Formats: sequence, C-alpha cells, structure tokens
Amino acid sequence: MTDIAITKNGIIVVALRGELGNHEANRIRTQISSEIFSGKVHGVIWDLTHLGFMDSSGIGLILGRMRDLAPQNGETLILNPSATMEKIFQFSGLGTVVRHCNVEKAIGEIGGVLHEQ
Amino acid sequence: MNNEMTLSFVAIEENEALARMTMTCFITPLDPTIEELSEFKTIVSEAVTNAIIHGYDCDGIRKVTIHGKIEDSKVTMTVSDEGNGIFDVDQAMEPMFTTKPLLERSGMGFTIMESFADNLSVESAIGQGTVVRFEKTFSPVTEKSRMR
Ligand SMILES: Nc1ncnc2c1ncn2[C@@H]1O[C@H](COP(=O)(O)OP(=O)(O)OP(=O)(O)O)[C@@H](O)[C@H]1O
Ligand SMILES: [Mg+2]
Repeated sequence: MTDIAITKNGIIVVALRGELGNHEANRIRTQISSEIFSGKVHGVIWDLTHLGFMDSSGIGLILGRMRDLAPQNGETLILNPSATMEKIFQFSGLGTVVRHCNVEKAIGEIGGVLHEQ
Repeated sequence: MNNEMTLSFVAIEENEALARMTMTCFITPLDPTIEELSEFKTIVSEAVTNAIIHGYDCDGIRKVTIHGKIEDSKVTMTVSDEGNGIFDVDQAMEPMFTTKPLLERSGMGFTIMESFADNLSVESAIGQGTVVRFEKTFSPVTEKSRMR
C-alpha cells in the first residue's frame, strides 16, 4: 500500500495507494518516522497520485512527520492530491505545500531550495 | 429513488473501511460525480472514526450505528454512538480543536464534515453519547449525463 524510497541526497518519497484513514495511518506512521530518524533526511515528498481516498487522518500523519523533520529544517511537499483532498489540505493550512507535478520535479524543488542556502 | 438502511458495528478501526464501503454502495444508485462521492465518503469516515476513537476509545465492544435514507437525490445520514459524549460541542467544532493530540489527531474532522455536508448537526451528552446528522444532495442524473 505504501512505497517508501530515499534519494541519495536524503529526500524521502512516500507513494501512497488505496485509502488513507485512521487505520491505515496508524499502520504506516512508525515506518515513515523511523526512516526520517534513520539518517540525514532533509525532506519528505508525499506522492498522492495513486491515493484513492484520504480523510483528516492524512493531515495528522503529514503534520506529525513535519514535526519529526523540524529539527533538520526539513521540507515537505504534497504531490497530486485529488480535488477533494486538496480542499482538505487547504482547510488545514497545507495548501501552500501542494504541487501538481512529477516526483522528479518535486525533488528538484527541495534540492534547489537547499542549494540556495 | 427512495431507500433506507441501518448498519451497526463494534468500535474497532477496521470497521472504518467497512462503513466507507457500505455507504458508498448505498448511494451508488444516485450516480454521484467523483467529487460528490469522495466528499460523501470523507464525511462518513470522519464521523465514524470519531465515534470509534473518541466515543468508545476503540473498545471493540460497544456499537456505532449508521442510519441512511435516500429521498430522490437527497441523502440523510446519522452516525450515532452511546459513548463518552462531547463536553462542549461548539468548542469541539472549532478548527484544530482536538482532545487527542498525542494520537496525531489534527482537530479538522468537524471542519471537513461541515464543509462537505449540508445541514450538519451534532447532539451530544457526556456519558450518553453523540449523534452526528447531515444531509447531502446530489446533482440530478439527467443533468450529469447531458454534461458527459
Ligand atoms: N463521537 C464523539 N464522541 C466523543 N467525542 C467526540 C466525538 N466526535 C468528536 N469528539 C470530540 O470533538 C473533538 C473534535 O473532533 P474532530 O473530528 O474535529 O477532531 P479530531 O477527531 O480530534 O481530529 P481529526 O478529525 O482531525 O483527526 C475531538 O477531539 C473529540 O474531543
Ligand atoms: Mg475526527
């Protein structure tokens, strides 16, 4: 249901599939957290292209991982949510990190920002 | 089309998907658009998850009950539990208000339900339980088929 990949420069790409509710979020939370704490991670990209459903549990999951990333000043991007999911992100103040692009471009964006620092 | 149903299940998180699936099937004859369907499914998921985790603390014993009614293109639903109840409903409905931050709840459930549903109302009493009631009207089938 979830594919987690890490790029050489420390960006985690979480590709979610199927449905993401409370039950599913509880099952993948620690897996993603331990990846974040495992090394020099400076960004998480949530690829929702193939996610069919999400409720507020997804907001909790993403905000929680943003907290995990905070000590490293890590960045978060959310890719290709459905129209309904995008509304949920907007209500929750996450509208600014939503992008409609492919994973490569999103990795470039996070890498690019880091490069400028 | 008119229809009516009741679904009852114990408070375990596995039943969130059961509720979403069952209610999705229930409204399929209304031929909802993808967005109408996913908004409806989200409301169901929020209300049922709240009943399981806040109402019953996932006790696996007590039951959540969903009642659904279809009158023409309008769906009326209630999601009820006989659990903990809500101390202050107005406060609970404020965006970002949650009593379970350690479980990574974001406090957005009611905000999402209110935006996606028509006429959402919440009745609750401490120690007696909570009833969430809402309506959603779906666009008429003929109009959608013309657009296709
Ligand atoms: N069925 C219920 N029984 C008891 N308390 C409830 C119930 N539903 C909601 N509440 C209370 O209302 C609060 C707000 O609910 P809401 O769904 O908006 O946020 P949440 O469930 O805490 O977080 P989120 O839905 O974003 O994961 C909850 O934290 C809880 O205290
Ligand atoms: Mg909730």
